[in-house]
Amino acid sequence: MTPPIIKSMSDITVRLMVSPPPHWRSGRTIQKMMTAHLLALLPALAMGVVMYGPKAAAVAALAGATAIATEALCLKLQNRDIDVDNLTALYAGVLFAFLLPASAPWWLVIIGAALTIALGRTVFGGFGSNPVCAPLVAWAVCRLSWPAAMDIDLGLSHFLLNYPPDQLKYFGAQALGQYDYLDLLLGRQLGGLGSSQILALLAGGVFLAARGWISSFIAAAFLLGVAAMAAVFWFLDPSQYADPLFHLLTGSTVFGAFFLATDTASSPVGKIPQILFGLLAGAMVIVIRIYGVYSDGVPFAIMLVNLLSPLLDRVRPKPFGGR
Amino acid sequence: MLKIHYSLESDFEKGIADIATPEELSIQVRNLVLKAKKGMQVAKGELIAEHPSTFGGAYHAACSGKVAKVDYHHLTIKCDADEAGKAVEPVNVASLGAGVELLRVLQELGINVAPLSKTEILVINGMNPEPGITVAEQLLRDEKAALEAGLDIARKLCSPTRIVLAAAKGTSYSLAGAERKRIKAKYPNSLDALVVKAVTGKEFPANAKVINVMDLYDLGRVALTGLPVTDTVMTVGGRNYRVPLGTPIRHVMRSIGQEIVSGDTVVLGGPFQGEAVYSLDEGVKKSDYGLFAISSKEFPAVQDAPCINCGDCVNKCPARIQANLISRYAEFERFEDAEKHGLHSCFECGLCAFNCFSRRPLLQYIRFAKAQLRASRQGEDS
Repeated sequence: MTPPIIKSMSDITVRLMVSPPPHWRSGRTIQKMMTAHLLALLPALAMGVVMYGPKAAAVAALAGATAIATEALCLKLQNRDIDVDNLTALYAGVLFAFLLPASAPWWLVIIGAALTIALGRTVFGGFGSNPVCAPLVAWAVCRLSWPAAMDIDLGLSHFLLNYPPDQLKYFGAQALGQYDYLDLLLGRQLGGLGSSQILALLAGGVFLAARGWISSFIAAAFLLGVAAMAAVFWFLDPSQYADPLFHLLTGSTVFGAFFLATDTASSPVGKIPQILFGLLAGAMVIVIRIYGVYSDGVPFAIMLVNLLSPLLDRVRPKPFGGR
Repeated sequence: MLKIHYSLESDFEKGIADIATPEELSIQVRNLVLKAKKGMQVAKGELIAEHPSTFGGAYHAACSGKVAKVDYHHLTIKCDADEAGKAVEPVNVASLGAGVELLRVLQELGINVAPLSKTEILVINGMNPEPGITVAEQLLRDEKAALEAGLDIARKLCSPTRIVLAAAKGTSYSLAGAERKRIKAKYPNSLDALVVKAVTGKEFPANAKVINVMDLYDLGRVALTGLPVTDTVMTVGGRNYRVPLGTPIRHVMRSIGQEIVSGDTVVLGGPFQGEAVYSLDEGVKKSDYGLFAISSKEFPAVQDAPCINCGDCVNKCPARIQANLISRYAEFERFEDAEKHGLHSCFECGLCAFNCFSRRPLLQYIRFAKAQLRASRQGEDS
């Protein structure tokens, strides 16, 4: 069979671009989205360096670099376009680092960052397809496999401060007299190298929500869920349970609300599902902190509720003119 | 905050300008029943093609000349200045009573008569259809006589109990015999489905019909002159022009002094729903109300990327459908599943693809799914 002769359909002095409508677009891209997310993390990273020294920046940099390299390798092995320049891998790696103690050994950082990409995203189809927030998958694997290396009080024992959620877990509400809430807000507490910088994270998170890069419904509902569930227990017995403000200011509550729970792929779409999602995850944090084995309930609470996303997505309004 | 150009407000002082008749007309005739042959001499307003559907309007030459080329896609007419040659006889539309004969005459004069049937509520959509297009308000301001003549015909054929003119908030346009409804001038409020909802409070009601002022204007001009529709009013570069049907885009752009360079996207229709043309020789069609040239640097290009499930399309959707899932189903040819998520509620405003971070062609996927379903149903029926 002879191939058909393809004639040019127009003169070729001016070649026009054709594309499907709409021809105007908002101009928002994944790259810009990730740049904004990384910018929002900067203040917390800076505060973390002030608190824990340059080691904190080194951990974040190593995690970010490993994540990019792993993503590039995974895409190469799948014969896909290597689009690490959209910064999603860097962002996921840095998120993972934010949950680590600044003292984390180098091998743990590398394994964790590689797992974030490989186990958190690639096995499910890459960026945008992960059913569970990717950095949390890596965090959970590391936390279960190397509890000593991940332990915040143990790694940072040269600080006079204590990790607040552990104090609450093992010594009860009366041990909390050692904390001043203003200190907690300003990040003068032990915790993950970035996730303990409450005020800086709050600033970054509010910036993202105001620019519409993250769902403010999820973030607000998450914080509300934590506060409401904590308030219920606190009203029952203030001597046994910590007050809601303590729960909001410690562990990775604020970090989880703005940066982990709002992960686009693993959270539902639509207003009502997002609000339900945030409330459930927030309430779960307190349930795990009170009844669970892990003192900071945020990672496991978010992972658990991530699994409910497809179900929550079924809560949707009737379509226009629908019966 | 993010600046989004959705406003439908129009700002004009000037009237409608004329574009001179070009040397050549290029009329799209794909799927039409041709009534002209190569080499034939046609007069201005002479029938050249008919629409195959029951309601579609016929097509006429916008100038006198000789049919130079006919192929599957296009019919080209070489225009001559010979205006004195044979002319088309005007039809006395006003003398005809309501009925099949009037419909047939209108159809022959180039009017799509689908919306002109019995209805309870007749809505005149007087909103500018899309951002950047100001035709609707221009006609309401400058061509009230023709619009009211059109409304008389529409009233005769539809015999509605209620006629409502929907126009932008803050304007004072009116038509004799029509109630007024003011709607916020923001896209997508100008789309027929949303205008009907604003007027009746119901979504896709069975007892209402919509006709936009551009169609009403064509109807009115046909009624007043008895001559077929041979031009369209369109916004180019912020001003409204009366353009003969079939005028090549190259001619329009040259007349107004706008330059097109390689890599630009040239859009017939609006920036949200219009069609990108591949050639500057493409002719202007009926119901093209705008012509836009968009530089490739202005907006990030669409790409074939996976959905990241951010949900922006769902939150911004006026039809409350799951555009994220529909586009994924369409991508993997699961059209029945797309239907379950509200595919047929979509009125194709294009806001989903406008907002998509991943730059997915969401509207294209939706149209693709609709077309595939239509085609497979047709196959089943026959």
